Amino acid sequence: MRNTSSNRLPLIMYILYSAIALIFIAPLLYISVSSLKPDLQIVSDMSSIKGFLPYGDLSLSNYLSVIQKMDFFKYFRNSAISTILTVIFGTLINAMLGYSLGMLEFKGKKLILSLMIAMMIIPTEAVIINRMLIAFHLKMLDTMTVLVVPALAYPMYVFLFYSHFKGMPKELMQAAVIDGASYEMIFTRIMFPLSQPVIATVAIMTFIRRWGELLWPTLVTRTDRFRTLPQAMRSLFTNSYVYWGEIFAYGVMVTIPTVIIFLLFQKPFIQSIAMTGIKG
Amino acid sequence: MELHSEAIKMKSRKSVIGSRYATSTRFTSRNSNQGQARAAWLLGSPALILIFVFMLLPFIMSIGFSFTNKMLVQNINNPLRWTGFYNYQKLFQQKETLTAFLNTFKYALMVVPSILILATLLAISVNNRIKGIAVFRLIYFSPQVVSTIVVAIIWWFIFSPSSDGLLNSILESLGLGSRTWLKDPKLALTCISVMSIWQDIGMQMIIILGGLQFIPQELYEAATVDGCTRFQKMIHITLPLLKNTLNFVLITMTIASLKLFTQVYVLTEGGPQNKTLSIVYLMYLTGFTRSQVGYSSAMAVVFFILVLCISMIQNKLNTED
Repeated sequence: MRNTSSNRLPLIMYILYSAIALIFIAPLLYISVSSLKPDLQIVSDMSSIKGFLPYGDLSLSNYLSVIQKMDFFKYFRNSAISTILTVIFGTLINAMLGYSLGMLEFKGKKLILSLMIAMMIIPTEAVIINRMLIAFHLKMLDTMTVLVVPALAYPMYVFLFYSHFKGMPKELMQAAVIDGASYEMIFTRIMFPLSQPVIATVAIMTFIRRWGELLWPTLVTRTDRFRTLPQAMRSLFTNSYVYWGEIFAYGVMVTIPTVIIFLLFQKPFIQSIAMTGIKG
Repeated sequence: MELHSEAIKMKSRKSVIGSRYATSTRFTSRNSNQGQARAAWLLGSPALILIFVFMLLPFIMSIGFSFTNKMLVQNINNPLRWTGFYNYQKLFQQKETLTAFLNTFKYALMVVPSILILATLLAISVNNRIKGIAVFRLIYFSPQVVSTIVVAIIWWFIFSPSSDGLLNSILESLGLGSRTWLKDPKLALTCISVMSIWQDIGMQMIIILGGLQFIPQELYEAATVDGCTRFQKMIHITLPLLKNTLNFVLITMTIASLKLFTQVYVLTEGGPQNKTLSIVYLMYLTGFTRSQVGYSSAMAVVFFILVLCISMIQNKLNTED
């Protein structure tokens, strides 16, 4: 009796897991498959399972017309450069502050820590207009700098690094001090290289957040020169008719880079997210 | 900005010279403490300066502007001046603000409990070592990886009000008639909640899963020996030991849901009939589109105090138990 039920269990579980998986993955599958179909077919396939099947007149023509309709590669380049710069420098400076707060003793540390926690509560959107005014006074509008610099430091990531470094063994640092290493060197040579899971987490979260960011670039770009990919979506809309095929193709092209980055680093990322609730 | 870095230099110089602060803690490691303070300010300053200039300063400006009639483009006939508590009075009198606060609370009440319950159930169900379980976890997490703009495209297509939307064509083929979803004042906020739940559940599932895997397996084994049922184990072992994790999820999710903005911005722009107008969206609308920076700043201040209170209450409830 016991044996049969435990033999049958995995199959039932797999069916259940797959059914739940469908809820999350189906919309993504749907738009990927549909992006290869002509618009008429997308509409006619819509109400049945056929929407998920790659059949009929499949082509990349939706992708080509998106690239022709908008200056796709320019927006892609702007998004890519600003995102990569933000990821590299943002991760580094947030880690540097997190290390200082988590491992070093100095006057004012408590104050800075409570400031970080208070800052985490303020929604960026609530102060974004004043931030734009500051960027305006610093004469930063319509530059690559304005897409990168204001978003580099982020209290939540500082806090992630802080709780990570706080949990690192102090003996490691003391040993390095005895060997004559400075505290700056301990960060660059020992602590930062030992922090790969948190680095992966912050890097991926920064990447996803920056890559999809819409509001800030809209506020600080006045000309077309530094517009980013999310901003370009509007050019796909006409008042008369919704070209779903093109919109889906655009969606797929926007998603591919994040999926690649995520799949490359998912293991340390998932591990480190799983730890946040335990420490928090 | 210069002033601030100057202050940091001053502070670090002070500690290099050997102030009494450095020596007071541990006499033997005096040099070490000085080195630590210097390194801390040196390594910390880039992030600190940027947080000061682009987060703290805008917030301080908000507090200041909230007592003025500051406009994005100041009208010549209406020069910048102090208006005292006028913006705050206006805030509590206008129906629009009340609507925005109510909508945001409604949204939080729909989203937070749903995510907490569903993500816990999901985490418990994937907390095993069946072959391929990692792939399922990854799939449940996947909406988190997709940019909100693409998530918006997906749900906009699902909830499309005309007959070319996914839900409508399914409903019509079943003979149930169509709805206008995001254009329907009664349904719009629920639609946005469904979308948020779908997008966020995977992240919270992973966090709760982390908490679950932290529970020592021996406890379950001992309970099995004592003849406890699955349900009893869940009530007496899993939930109490998961409390910290669940509390973390509760607080972060509550704050995140009160900050509702992007979904509204891309899907409904606050409509129909202001039924999806959220606090942060109203702040943006007032400050940017209507150019009333002073009034918008007052909202930001009230919102900040509100969120601060809620998280303090939740924290307090947690420590009291």
